[in-house]
Amino acid sequence: MEFCREFVQELEQIVGPAYVHTDPVDLQCYAFDATFEEWRPDVVVRPATTDEVARVLRLCNEARVPVIPRGMGSGLAGGTVPSPNGGLVLSLTRMNRIQEIDEVNMTVTVEAGVITADLQAEVERRGLFYPPDPSSIKHSTIGGNIACNAGGPRCLKYGVTKDYVMGVKAVLADGRVFSAGGKPIKYVTGYDLPALLTGSEGTLAVVTEALLRLTVKPTVARTAAVAFHDLDLASQAVNKVLWAGFVPATLELMDDTTIHTVEEYLHIGLPLDAAAMLIVESDGRDERVVDDEMQGMVEIFRAAGAADVRVAKDEKERDALWRGRRSVSPSLARRRPHKLGEDISLPRSAIPEAIRRIKGVAAKYGLPIAIFGHAGDGNLHPNILFDRRDAEEWARVQQAMAEIFAIALELGGTLTGEHGVGIMKRPFVSQALDPTAVEAMWRIKRALDPHNILNPGKVFPAEVTG
Amino acid sequence: MMFQPRVENAVQALGERISHDDILRCIRCGLCSYTCPTYRVENCESMGPRGRLALVRALIEGKLELSPRFAEKFYDCVLCAACTSACPGGTQSDAMMLEARRILYKAGLAPEPIAGLLARLEAQHNISGEDNAGRLMWSSNMERAPGGLGRRQAEMVYFVGCVSSLFPMSFSIPQAFSRTLDLAGVNYALLGEAEWCCGYPAYISGDVELARQAAAHNLEVIRSAGARQVVVTCPSCYHVFTHIYPELLGEGALAGLKVLHATELLADLLEGGALRPAGQAVRVTYHDPCDLGRKSKLFLPPRRVLHAIPGLELVEMASTGENSLCCGGGGNVESSAPSLVESMAARRLAEAQDTGAELIVTACQQCKRTLTSAARKRRVRMRILDVVELVWQALSAEG
Ligand SMILES: Cc1cc2nc3c(=O)[nH]c(=O)nc-3n(C[C@H](O)[C@H](O)[C@H](O)COP(=O)(O)OP(=O)(O)OC[C@H]3O[C@@H](n4cnc5c(N)ncnc54)[C@H](O)[C@@H]3O)c2cc1C
Ligand code: SF4
Ligand code: SF4
Repeated sequence: MEFCREFVQELEQIVGPAYVHTDPVDLQCYAFDATFEEWRPDVVVRPATTDEVARVLRLCNEARVPVIPRGMGSGLAGGTVPSPNGGLVLSLTRMNRIQEIDEVNMTVTVEAGVITADLQAEVERRGLFYPPDPSSIKHSTIGGNIACNAGGPRCLKYGVTKDYVMGVKAVLADGRVFSAGGKPIKYVTGYDLPALLTGSEGTLAVVTEALLRLTVKPTVARTAAVAFHDLDLASQAVNKVLWAGFVPATLELMDDTTIHTVEEYLHIGLPLDAAAMLIVESDGRDERVVDDEMQGMVEIFRAAGAADVRVAKDEKERDALWRGRRSVSPSLARRRPHKLGEDISLPRSAIPEAIRRIKGVAAKYGLPIAIFGHAGDGNLHPNILFDRRDAEEWARVQQAMAEIFAIALELGGTLTGEHGVGIMKRPFVSQALDPTAVEAMWRIKRALDPHNILNPGKVFPAEVTG
Repeated sequence: MMFQPRVENAVQALGERISHDDILRCIRCGLCSYTCPTYRVENCESMGPRGRLALVRALIEGKLELSPRFAEKFYDCVLCAACTSACPGGTQSDAMMLEARRILYKAGLAPEPIAGLLARLEAQHNISGEDNAGRLMWSSNMERAPGGLGRRQAEMVYFVGCVSSLFPMSFSIPQAFSRTLDLAGVNYALLGEAEWCCGYPAYISGDVELARQAAAHNLEVIRSAGARQVVVTCPSCYHVFTHIYPELLGEGALAGLKVLHATELLADLLEGGALRPAGQAVRVTYHDPCDLGRKSKLFLPPRRVLHAIPGLELVEMASTGENSLCCGGGGNVESSAPSLVESMAARRLAEAQDTGAELIVTACQQCKRTLTSAARKRRVRMRILDVVELVWQALSAEG
């Protein structure tokens, strides 16, 4: 898409020439996210206010120019990568002010470009807590988290991003600004538009501000690593813990391939003979209560056949346990040059069967697949390890990926629990969703964005968009 | 388009020194942006490590050509290595930033102020461009001439470095340090005009050959003074001697020569009782210079020095040690983008203020200069001292 000079000049008038980029050097830096996808936009615009966003959108809507909203570009679905038609990348990272922390109502109002870790640090200074914890907190924005409905290990107890979005300010494709939601916790006047925008991947509106719910910061945490020789035993143990009424803050799972890869990298004495390892954390504000909860869970794990239970005695041991979990990605990166991390989501009961079947896929295609994820909520990350430069291997990876998606759907699960559809999972959406539901979504999309300028080529399968 | 053939050669050279595999190690997660001082000031992908790496990659893949805009992105990088230390996958990002500067320089695309700097270095062997004979100006108005002044031969050479030698704002650093050496009875010599710029500014601007000449010359004059030790107050001199000279001149470059940063020597002298400072009831925070800390791993010696001063309370900043934030003074960015540098310094000052300290201590004349001028412009009421100045203050207070 070639832009005429006047269009660029108008953009410059709106945001200032320093914040409109058309040089290939700048465009190249906005051509990707954290996936393999890469396509250069025609122009990058970096507005500083909602009003600027609105004026840019109005202009683009009139000129029918695709607009790709962008936070920090850490997305794992290609959501902020321009489509081959190019378009305008709208980067929101300059809109990074924390506008209000309301200690009484326990809310925070932020601009969309605030880095999640910065928001957390700021509210924690006041003893407050913003719980959603995607591993990418330091490299993702609140706007991106909302657009993808990001979640993390803590979500079993604390929920995902959507559970914290009380209100938004957003800009429609035609440039009109609206606010929705507010500080009342109960709010059923009209449709829940903040919820609609959460997880909409930049296809319905551009979020410029968010009103987020906070809680009180937990001050105590206890962590344990629990090893099982048998996947089914691990799964049953998790159910017993939850049935006993415990709500651990996290319940992370690593399969044997993952355990071996991390151990090779860190040498921290992980149980190499285990079929699965769980990392369980209990948190709260009362030491005794948290200790009791951990003790109760440990007893259940032991009775349920755990091969080994290690409770961290102090902060140092706790950190060592988490280091194992945090090092999963880098250790995988050292084993093979590339990895493709999926994030299928399953009913909890289907986890052991899903892991078994995915191991079958690994054997069938001769590809190492490390599986880890969130045992408490059924969100699994099978990571296929490979070398992208080998075309034949890459073809096998794509087949394996399609089979993994099929497994998730057969077992009553879905394609993605955290990362979203973006470009990457578009071809599978029709298999995953009820066709009438897809049509309803497309109608909503067209009602809000009749010219399909907002992040076109994402989420919806090609057969729907035409 | 006059430089086109040079550009092609340069890009080819890049392909040889950085492999596609090296660059593909970056999986583009974006984590390093969070720690990058230029990204955090500009909030712009092309001003962060992931964007810069994407540019190098696009160049290797033939998707992009060198241009002045390309050059800007790399000469705006302070080479603080925070990105390298943040990368879970072990991407050697700062080395790639440096490599990019080399090919840009070869292609004739170094920004104007950098070209000027290199011309000064070549003509006068120092960064200021003044006559190199003025290297001892800092000692001219001292009550008592430093002991090392007349000595031709000594066990140790104090290599002063360009900024402290030639910029009056930094004279107090060599003054304080030489007085301290004299008080401790250390036998050292000053090289005066025989000292050349250590070569680091040339090296990081892309002119490796000029850096090599400087390295060879400096080691020769140090050896001919009969010295077996070199002590430096400048972290960049320290880094270049210990890490770059062997790269430029071969592994054996430092044979028979021990290179010390002033803080290592002072820590030993203080702990051994050779120096006895008076109490200083002051709350300080310590700013790790990138070249001394993250890039040379000397985190402890300056802190040992501070602990040896009775009554002094050290409070660390939010980002410290390996994660320390650059003051903005690195990479010669100052000459091409002064306002960027000031914004980076302001972020560091804000972290320092958060500690409640009254004084920022660092171990680098450049960090001191950068932080001091930003503090003045932004009306931040904090004093900044080099640790050698603080030590002398504590020693002279005792009388
Ligand atoms: C190493 C790593 C670990 C990760 N771990 C997790 C994890 O644990 N949990 C998890 O959920 N995700 C995780 N992710 C994925 C990613 O970080 C999240 O999807 C995150 O929410 C993206 O935020 P961003 O600011 O980077 O958005 P971007 O990548 O810039 O954009 C993502 C999508 O949001 C849209 N968008 C961005 N901002 C706005 C806005 N203001 N208004 C409208 N649309 C917008 C974009 O158009 C795009 O479709 C991880 C990614 C990486 C690289
Ligand atoms: S260099 Fe490392 S930390 Fe930075 S984007 Fe690449 S992989 Fe991520
Ligand atoms: S060396 Fe420092 S300034 Fe340069 S890209 Fe890395 S973190 Fe940023």
